[in-house]
Amino acid sequence: MVSASSDPSLDLRSRFEALVVPHLDRLLAFAIRRSDSVADAEDAVQEAFVRAWLGFADLRDDGLARPWIYRILRTVLSDFREKNGRRQQLVFITRLEDAHDELIGGEHDALFSEVVARLDSEAIHRALRKIPEDFAAAVELHDIDGFKYAEIAEIVSVPIGTVMSRIARGRKLLAGAIMAERGTAAFEQSTDALAERRTSRGGAR
Amino acid sequence: MSDERNALTSRITPAEEAARESRHEVLRELLGAYADRELPPETVAQIDAHLIGCAECRSALEVHDAVRTRLATERPAAPSPALRARIAAAIDAAPAPVVVQAPAPQTVPQRSIVWLAVAGWIAAVVLAIALVVQLPASRQSAGGVRPIGAPVQQVSLLGGIVDDYTRVSRGDLPGRARDLSAVRAAVSFPIEPLRAPDLRLLGAWTTDVRGEPAAVLAYRLRDRLVVQYLVAEDAFFRHPAVRTAVADRHLLTAADGARALVAWPGTSTGTVLVGDVPSEWLQSIWRSERAH
Repeated sequence: MVSASSDPSLDLRSRFEALVVPHLDRLLAFAIRRSDSVADAEDAVQEAFVRAWLGFADLRDDGLARPWIYRILRTVLSDFREKNGRRQQLVFITRLEDAHDELIGGEHDALFSEVVARLDSEAIHRALRKIPEDFAAAVELHDIDGFKYAEIAEIVSVPIGTVMSRIARGRKLLAGAIMAERGTAAFEQSTDALAERRTSRGGAR
Repeated sequence: MSDERNALTSRITPAEEAARESRHEVLRELLGAYADRELPPETVAQIDAHLIGCAECRSALEVHDAVRTRLATERPAAPSPALRARIAAAIDAAPAPVVVQAPAPQTVPQRSIVWLAVAGWIAAVVLAIALVVQLPASRQSAGGVRPIGAPVQQVSLLGGIVDDYTRVSRGDLPGRARDLSAVRAAVSFPIEPLRAPDLRLLGAWTTDVRGEPAAVLAYRLRDRLVVQYLVAEDAFFRHPAVRTAVADRHLLTAADGARALVAWPGTSTGTVLVGDVPSEWLQSIWRSERAH
């Protein structure tokens, strides 16, 4: 006879609540950065939690719960992207690399850190959307969510050498995207203003 | 190239300059991992030495540090109480995960293995039959299962799949794993092999299930054959018993004698997994797939 499967067990549910649910806030932020709206991100997170629950018996090591739920969320987000069409506003990589090379070869590199530090979250998110998802995810998982390279390799299912390469190149592209968005003139105005303030404080390099 | 290295060029040979440039190219690619303290000490020492004479790499390192420092200040989102409630309700409505016990490692003397293997095989068969026969009753008593449909052979799709599986499992498999691309080209719906522990793709081919085109993927699971049938979603949802079971619990489970079936819908397809194995084995594959 055709029949259906059974209800959750309380022990598993308590373990799930303890191991997976505490990561909801960071998972939601990760989803928001790659969704068109908060509502879309919430749908993705909800689906990820349901999938995690259904596969929870396969989680053998409690210490791996955090990378495990991130891996599930990435799969859900990928499914949603396939269903709804690509949403990123990619910029040509060569243009971003040129912007990065111009930055480190020019006179503004010393002030770049101060300019980046002053960017609001919206500007950071816009820049992240301009670089390919594989690079953005690697950078975010390390720099925002605090995963080690080995954990990221597990989450995105690539060798650790690829993670290393994606983070290195992803940060370069992100710096290039920040430069490209601000535009050379705007960036020069910002850096000039910072330089003037430094000079007036006697701290110019 | 940096000013310092330009200045040194006049005092070193072209071969030394080429080696220096080559080392610069290699070490430059490691600056991200250097900033993140993910490199072994000997590589860190090499980069420390290189940075002293390379302004370009020092500048690139500042960019890495600036980006990672800024991103580290990004704050988590604040989930609304409504979202928390939605998630809790969705989990309440989903089936419970089922724990499948892994077999214990064998640490017995060699001459006992054959006898234990035979005894184990018998026990496994008894257990498999007991599971198939008694599982619905035991779950009924736990309050989770409601028989909702028809006998497998009365559901055209499932009956056709069981017949095809019976024919396939008695002879040589018609396809090989590398035939997957040919199968993908032959059907109108997407095909991705299942991923689960101990599950290995053996072969793939196309067939016809009661007039519906289907892709067939055969797997080895702990030395047993498990076969996945993929059909278009309209064929999958045609019978009301399937629609009801899937809508109710997301996962359809069925048995035909000692033969277990589980089925679930995909994006534009339906999967039916069948094998002469305990139903829990097939449900475990489904859970792994959902987790991926």
